[in-house]
Amino acid sequence: MLMATSVKMPSPLQPKSMTRPTQWNEEVEEAYRFQLAGYRDEIEYKEVRQTEHVDRWPHNGFIKKLVRRDGCFYYYDKTRECPDKQINKTKLYAY
Amino acid sequence: MMKTRQQESCLKKVKLPGKVVSLRERVPFTHEVNIFEKNNLMKPEPPCAGAFKERNTGGTSFKKFYERGDFPIALEHDTKGNKIAWKVEIEKLDYHHYLPLFFDGLCETTHPYEFFARQGVHDMLEHGGSKILPVIPQLIIPIKNALNTRNHKVLCTTLKVLQHLVVSADMVGEALVPYYRQILPVMNIFKNKNLNSGDGIDYSQQKRENVGDLIHETLEAFERCGGEDAFINIKYMVPTYESCMLN
Repeated sequence: MLMATSVKMPSPLQPKSMTRPTQWNEEVEEAYRFQLAGYRDEIEYKEVRQTEHVDRWPHNGFIKKLVRRDGCFYYYDKTRECPDKQINKTKLYAY
Repeated sequence: MMKTRQQESCLKKVKLPGKVVSLRERVPFTHEVNIFEKNNLMKPEPPCAGAFKERNTGGTSFKKFYERGDFPIALEHDTKGNKIAWKVEIEKLDYHHYLPLFFDGLCETTHPYEFFARQGVHDMLEHGGSKILPVIPQLIIPIKNALNTRNHKVLCTTLKVLQHLVVSADMVGEALVPYYRQILPVMNIFKNKNLNSGDGIDYSQQKRENVGDLIHETLEAFERCGGEDAFINIKYMVPTYESCMLN
């Protein structure tokens, strides 16, 4: 009983696992863009920025603009930005 | 009226350009005197015209403005270092003021000016949309200056920027056609600057640093985006250019 109360259940916003991709795809590109701006992923970004809106390119849905934690803006290209050597440094979180 | 003696002697002479010759004097045929042979000197080679030589462009106003802290950008100290952190949204920037300034920085070859100018231009073109077209006339002089430096690195950057510029928004390619006279002469000079490596590998192709190839790509981009008048105008400035669309 005592143990049950002391064990803290992970909040629904904490990831349960993390994997590293080996090949590029749109999911990796998305994670790369968030992590370049200093966030884990879209969930953390929305939580930290207290917003529901993320700027995306209309034609392919890639991230267009992110606000960093210090309030500066990062702008991303229309096309792939994640270079090959950054693919396995990107982290994909699962909840 | 009495004429003075001096005036009389002048009357007997005919004034030829450069030399006063008396009519009675017999002028010997002139012969070319080679002063180098006469003085036992080697005749020097004619000086180099310097069409391909790098030229200096004093300091750029980009550098001045950056050091003064006028740009809304922040320096990153991370390992990737390929992004600019903008302090204000690009959409809210005055393109008439900032875009020509960033283009001016294309002449820079040193860090961090070179990086900020290149990346700043890239971001502003990528996200400018319809705000780019009205600024085109103000971009011509910075582009011309950058190309005129004839510096290998600057040429490569500027050519890539030009390729991005023509596809950045509608009608930009057409708007550049009247300015080909300013932009294309340097491209004509360097069009054939290519590396003859025999059967070796030219790594500059992979890194996109081969000026000849970049110029070719740029001219093709100009032709594709420049509308129907583009080809004839390019051909006028770069006579060896062959169309990539008509053939």
